[in-house]
Amino acid sequence: MKPYTVTTSIVALSFSLGTAAMADEGATKAAVLDNYANIAAAKYSDSLITAKRLQERVNALIADPSAENLNSAKSAWLAARVPYQQTEVYRFGNAIVDDWEGKVNAWPLDEGLIDYVDPSYGGPSDENELAALNVVANPALSLSGNEIDASVITPALLEGALHEADGVEANVATGYHAIEFLLWGQDLNGHGPGAGNRSWTDYATGDTCTNGNCDRRGAYLAAAVDLLVSDLEWMSSQWAGTGPARANLMSNEDAGLAAILTGMGSLSYGEQAGERMRLGLMLNDPEEEHDCFSDNTHNSHYYDGLGVQNVYHGEYVRVDGTLVSGPSLSDLVAASDASLDAEMTAKLNKTMRALGRIKTAAEAGFAYDQMLERGNAAGEALIMGGVNGLIDQTQSIERVVAALGLNQIAFEGSDSLDDPEAVFQ
Amino acid sequence: MRRITLAFVLFLFPVAGLANDANLVIDNILRGHILPRFDALAVETQGLDDAAARDCAPTSPELRAAYGKAFDAWISASHLRFGPTELEDRAFGLAFWPDSRGATPRALAALIANEDLIGRSPNHYHEVSIAARGFYALEFLLYDKVLMTAGDASYHCALVQTIAADIASTSQAIWDDWRMDYAVTLKKTGPGEIYRSDTEVLQQMFKTLTTGLQFTSEARLGRPLGTFDRPRPNRSEARRSERSSRHVALNLMSLKDMAARLSSNDPDLKKELNMRFAAEQDKLEILNDPTFAGVANPQSRLKIEVLQQSIEAIRKTVRERLGPKLGVAAGFNALDGD
Repeated sequence: MKPYTVTTSIVALSFSLGTAAMADEGATKAAVLDNYANIAAAKYSDSLITAKRLQERVNALIADPSAENLNSAKSAWLAARVPYQQTEVYRFGNAIVDDWEGKVNAWPLDEGLIDYVDPSYGGPSDENELAALNVVANPALSLSGNEIDASVITPALLEGALHEADGVEANVATGYHAIEFLLWGQDLNGHGPGAGNRSWTDYATGDTCTNGNCDRRGAYLAAAVDLLVSDLEWMSSQWAGTGPARANLMSNEDAGLAAILTGMGSLSYGEQAGERMRLGLMLNDPEEEHDCFSDNTHNSHYYDGLGVQNVYHGEYVRVDGTLVSGPSLSDLVAASDASLDAEMTAKLNKTMRALGRIKTAAEAGFAYDQMLERGNAAGEALIMGGVNGLIDQTQSIERVVAALGLNQIAFEGSDSLDDPEAVFQ
Repeated sequence: MRRITLAFVLFLFPVAGLANDANLVIDNILRGHILPRFDALAVETQGLDDAAARDCAPTSPELRAAYGKAFDAWISASHLRFGPTELEDRAFGLAFWPDSRGATPRALAALIANEDLIGRSPNHYHEVSIAARGFYALEFLLYDKVLMTAGDASYHCALVQTIAADIASTSQAIWDDWRMDYAVTLKKTGPGEIYRSDTEVLQQMFKTLTTGLQFTSEARLGRPLGTFDRPRPNRSEARRSERSSRHVALNLMSLKDMAARLSSNDPDLKKELNMRFAAEQDKLEILNDPTFAGVANPQSRLKIEVLQQSIEAIRKTVRERLGPKLGVAAGFNALDGD
């Protein structure tokens, strides 16, 4: 027993010395990629854990409809968004994530596809003939001339015939935002305060049921949550020890680093600063907020930004409070250009302060949809603070790409990351 | 004479390095490509403002002609999305498209139904949603069957004039900034400046080319193409004024010019790019389909698909051959999201 212990401690000692020696020489590319993949695994596992909690609460709501159980499901949804939004930085660089993401977080949506809506919503539009399909109310559906049996609402029906039906991306039948709509309902307050105000009685049985088809609404909600859980199970496994997302990343170190930076830059600039923040502000449209039913947009933006920052620094706090950390992109950049690392760090901090201001103002009662109103100077300044920070940090991300010698690998489109050899052809 | 001058210059700068080359290219693009385009935009949009003031009737030939010339000037400059165009949402205020959620007709209908006073206030109109501003909004008021006659006639007239005036003042602001400030910014590179080096300026120019090609391929052609089973001719850009194909032609003309200037130090690449752009321009002319309505017909659809693929191929060449030549990458752009 004793000799065995000694041997073990020698191995442990030499291992820790080895690690220390490696850290002195700076992070290796392989170690940075490994830590990046570990953080992905942790974030998707956390998203799965919190989605399962949501599933329990939703099942409780359907079994025993009450105001308390609806509120409890809503809290679980809000908690589930915290880890998930931090995964978004993995999207654009990793094809395996990007090809899948539309199933779980598609937005914006024409919610009339799913359930009843206010008359002000309008009917079918030029862009979307199915904008007011209302699956909850209709057991038989006609989609582009095809008859669909929707008498039983299943995950297969949602992800098969309904999601992105007729090739229209606004036909979002699955994912967080479909669930959000089923829990909160439409936010009919325009630029005024208040989120969607769906009553728990939309899930009640017998005469207490409001707005009809409560059983089908419950079936839809349950199917959507089950699908979310199974989709997240799949993505977690992609990042596990031998998962293909990890293997893909490791197959070419430089392409892997480029993938990290592509994710950071594309999310910061085109997606978050542009599509999600600046566009809504310029359109003054309360429907243009990312979590428009729950009024949770301030958190959505905040945790997206945090995801970019924690990928750069290679550390993530899990939903149970444990810290996942290791060699980071920041270490690599610091080793080749310390002032550029300082610049990148400072810009990420500045963005997080700006996104933090939006979050604190919203939590104190100044909702994101109020900030979008025409002529609301304070709201515009808050949102543009975030937008400018994100645009500014993208410029430094481009400098990091150049400093690490990745110019010819990054920006080739995610297809090159499916097949890293293609880069060298 | 010409040869002697060149020899003399070479004598004076016998070791002209890369930095000087970059500087010459930037100067050439600035004087020969950027400044003339924004100057023309300011002039033509003033013409639009004046024409609307004289006759606001949607069918007025003079107004429609002025609108066409001003829109031409914008499309010819629209790839230059950096600096002055990005301040105060100016470019968005001139051109909000694509509009996949139908925000433009909705926003205009709301202004008209409420006779919102801001529609009579050219000086405050920049506060309204970008969906109700700029060339695409004005197109609805001049050419859309419903919106060209919607609401009270005097309000409609005022709204046309207000939007035209807003377009003109926005364009003037862009031109003023270029003329008085940003032209210097491009030349004044170094630590602490907007551009740290000439290479960063070249990257900005290079981006206008790659992003311009991507936008034409994905939006101008890709949106109407849809899928084979589900073509979307109603999603063509500016189809109501039958300008869809014209915009592709104008854009290719500008990008061809930019490509030639960026590749000026590599005569072979310059010649090749020039020929390939010219081939696309020819294809477009032969297609002769102003609104790309042909996407719904298998035979003409194929031609539009080929056009799109060839533009993508040019983008690939630009990225893989011109980029390394300049020592830059395409970087991130606004089309990166989903």
